[in-house]
Amino acid sequence: MQTWLRVRPRPTALAVLSTLVIACLAAPAAAQQPDTTTRTSLIEQAQAEKAAVLQPYKPTAAEKYLDYAEAYLTSGKLHWHPYFTSAYAGGGFTLGAGYLQHVGSYNVLNLRGSLTFSGYKRVEAAFTAPRAFGKQIGLSFLGGWREATQVGFYGIGTSTEKDSRANYGFQQPYGSAAIDLSPAFRVLVLRGGFEASQWEQGPGSGSAPSVETVYTPATLPGLGAKPTYLHSQGTVGIDWRPSPGYARRGGFYGVTVHDFADPDKAYGFTQMDYEAIQHIPVLREAWVLSFHGLVETSSPKSNEQVPFFMLPSVGGGSELRGFSTWRFRDRNSLLLQAEWRIMVNRFIDTAVFVDGGKVTAHRSDLNLDALKTDGGFGIRFHGPLATPLRIDVAKGNEGIVLVFSATGVF
Amino acid sequence: MSAPLPRIPRPPKSSLGLRFGVLSAVLFCVLVSVRVATETPRFYSDDPIGKEPDSRDASGAKPWDIGLMYELAENLFVTVNYKPSNTRARNINTIDEVPDSSWFTNRVGSTPVSAADIARGPELGKPPANEKWVILREKSAGANPGFTAKDANGDTWFLGFDYPENPEAATSSVVVATKLAWAMGYNQVETFLTTFDPKRAEIDPNATVRRPSGKRTPFTRADLNAVLDKVARNADGTYRAAAGRALSGTILGGFRYEGTRPDDPNDIVPHEHRRELRALRVFGAWIDLTDLKAGNTLDTLVTENGRSVVRHYLQDVGATFGTDNGPHEWDIGWEYLFEKGPTRRRLLSFGFALSPWQTVPYTEYSSLGLFEGDVFNPTTWKPQSPTTAYMELRADDAFWAARRVMAFSDDLIRAAVHIGQYSDSKAERHLTEVLIKRRDVIGRTYLSAINPVVSPQLDAAGVLTFDNAAAGFADPPTEYRAAWSLFDNATGTAKPIADTRSATTTIQPPRDLPTAAGAFVEIDISAESAGHPSWRQPIRTFFRRTGSGWKLVGLVRLPDDLSRPASAARVP
Repeated sequence: MQTWLRVRPRPTALAVLSTLVIACLAAPAAAQQPDTTTRTSLIEQAQAEKAAVLQPYKPTAAEKYLDYAEAYLTSGKLHWHPYFTSAYAGGGFTLGAGYLQHVGSYNVLNLRGSLTFSGYKRVEAAFTAPRAFGKQIGLSFLGGWREATQVGFYGIGTSTEKDSRANYGFQQPYGSAAIDLSPAFRVLVLRGGFEASQWEQGPGSGSAPSVETVYTPATLPGLGAKPTYLHSQGTVGIDWRPSPGYARRGGFYGVTVHDFADPDKAYGFTQMDYEAIQHIPVLREAWVLSFHGLVETSSPKSNEQVPFFMLPSVGGGSELRGFSTWRFRDRNSLLLQAEWRIMVNRFIDTAVFVDGGKVTAHRSDLNLDALKTDGGFGIRFHGPLATPLRIDVAKGNEGIVLVFSATGVF
Repeated sequence: MSAPLPRIPRPPKSSLGLRFGVLSAVLFCVLVSVRVATETPRFYSDDPIGKEPDSRDASGAKPWDIGLMYELAENLFVTVNYKPSNTRARNINTIDEVPDSSWFTNRVGSTPVSAADIARGPELGKPPANEKWVILREKSAGANPGFTAKDANGDTWFLGFDYPENPEAATSSVVVATKLAWAMGYNQVETFLTTFDPKRAEIDPNATVRRPSGKRTPFTRADLNAVLDKVARNADGTYRAAAGRALSGTILGGFRYEGTRPDDPNDIVPHEHRRELRALRVFGAWIDLTDLKAGNTLDTLVTENGRSVVRHYLQDVGATFGTDNGPHEWDIGWEYLFEKGPTRRRLLSFGFALSPWQTVPYTEYSSLGLFEGDVFNPTTWKPQSPTTAYMELRADDAFWAARRVMAFSDDLIRAAVHIGQYSDSKAERHLTEVLIKRRDVIGRTYLSAINPVVSPQLDAAGVLTFDNAAAGFADPPTEYRAAWSLFDNATGTAKPIADTRSATTTIQPPRDLPTAAGAFVEIDISAESAGHPSWRQPIRTFFRRTGSGWKLVGLVRLPDDLSRPASAARVP
């Protein structure tokens, strides 16, 4: 009886009751009929009785809703979607939405926007073509505008104080194009891109003083500047992780070269990013020792400067998690992260982690001395390819930070 | 069929009052049925039946889709808490066997199956004429890369390929598993290993592929290349493929492991009570058939004897031998995709509470998956998600299934594996050895768990002989006991005659055994074994006197009220 209550099919109430009555009445009558002298005829009689009450399958409400959701997500019907990416790191809890429209078989146009409680805003249009030129080449174009209202600046170097925070704001229109040749290769990563953007600084809001009240252009390179950047970049590397969004094995080793050209020849610089990620599975991937190293070095072009807001930095929900976003800035940065990830089940991991990082004025100082460190614990809800929710609690010497993120840490 | 009572459609969930009404009606019906049962003979003239009839025309059956997300969610979060009814399978005949049907055909263990038979398997026609392929559309089933194509003869095939990291793994697995599943008795798709040469491939002008946008647009050479870029290529530029012939008839979609098709008049036994579907828990454990979802099954509407009937297939048995295209995840076969117990244990222990799958040793071959026979325990094996039929497995179902698995001789297994055309002979030998080991573990586990008396016979003089299915796995019992009764087939009552005993599998009859044709005798056969107290639970057999001797017409290995779930049986 328990089975009857939970399984399909579910005919109408009237049909059920009438069928039951018919069935019950039919049973003794059948026993008296001459054609029920064989097992086969009894079965045939039962089949005949069912033939009288055939009906199409009727899914339950739950089945209908889940089937609809499955079709909605997998058949190109998904248009409106949530969007949780802030305009700029440190914006805080973000709400947003996007409208996704397929343009052709594989190409997608996405119009999206987000807003944070601290007033960070972003509106942009993204066009992605994952199979450009009829091949496994990814091509994307992005154009938009964003505003950040209270980006933290704590001074240059690692020895700055937490209480020395000043805020600045900016508005920035931007447009970019990127090409990704990686899908055409199994392991090799080849990416390139070009972006044009204009930075328009403004006073910072929030509880910290605005940056121009603390510094002058003479003491803080780039303060008040409104540079236009023509940013070109290229990445080469190897990547054998199952997915960048979630992996329990594999690694990534890559180098990215940036060129930030300022047409006014005031704030142009180059930057090199050296990144390594390695996941070492233990006990059949039930544990994973994951390591991440990132070195960023910037060099001003001749007679130009790296403005303070473009300096490499460490600190924030995906970097030095026990410290505020943009906590440390200088010409060079070093970030080292290690996680002991524990597979709870196919959809949940927990992790114990430590982060270490520093910023330096000179590359030769990029060593393990005087690292700022933190440690903590996290839980991640993930699928086979992505981590849509990560919650980390990190403690450094400046307090405890709670991180909510819609992406994996590395 | 042991319970030929009228089938009762299931009630809707729409209201509590309705549920009570339905329950009351069902209870009334059951009571009426009990009374009817006492008025009808226990055994009919055609018992035991060898074939389940499909007497009605099923042409009204319509295609349906079973949503992957819904089925997975239901199985992981609802079915997992299902309380088994602990009732006998309802599609068995009166001697505890599964008659042939649109679901199942008795083969190994029932009829002689040779190595040549198993090598041929479900194949009725010729292998694909691979000198030319015309691509029709993308592959509609299974996760591995592939597409649907016509061969030079115009036959339609579903082509699946291997991933480069694991050449031969996916294609060989599906071919070998198809042979074994066919020999076991399940309806299988004709599946061959073949070669795909892109130089000899054309794209049908009407070929389409469903894009991420949801639209169907023409299948292009780029689409073909996109598939081939992801799969293992032979040195000569061709591709090894597993080709499954398109089934004839109207495709109706997968079958569910519970309930019945409401539009198929011949489908009167709830699927969770079909023994061959319950038995997939044993057969699946043997070959590590972990992906038991409805999406890997298929119903087709075909014409037989001038009537439309629904045939039920295990369509895709490729996720076997530790593979799921390549090696599957480590925990597959050991845990469902989601389970509360291991989740809690690992969460609280930071993973220090190890699960068995973390330490099992495997011998790894690129063409094989995570498949071993030394630690294997069929009672703890798990598919990716449970089905209701899986949950309903009882010890007598498992016993039946284990006898089928044990009927695969070493030579039969060797012949089936050889069809996989593994280029690495060590891999082929390893797969064979593991299958043999797992087969023996299944026999040792299930055949000795309950009374193992099988194949009872009475000769004309009434001498009772039988076999012990656990011979070789357990010490023979010290004594067999037969409790003889006269059985009144009309009333269902039994009158004890005598008990006789023997230390062997031959037991002499009592002196006053009836000799008149049409007489019935009931014999309860039990065994005394210190190591197996469960063998004291007798199997109940019924024989009918014929002109020349006695015919077995009834066998109950475990009645409903004395049954135990199969999970009670553990590896000794």
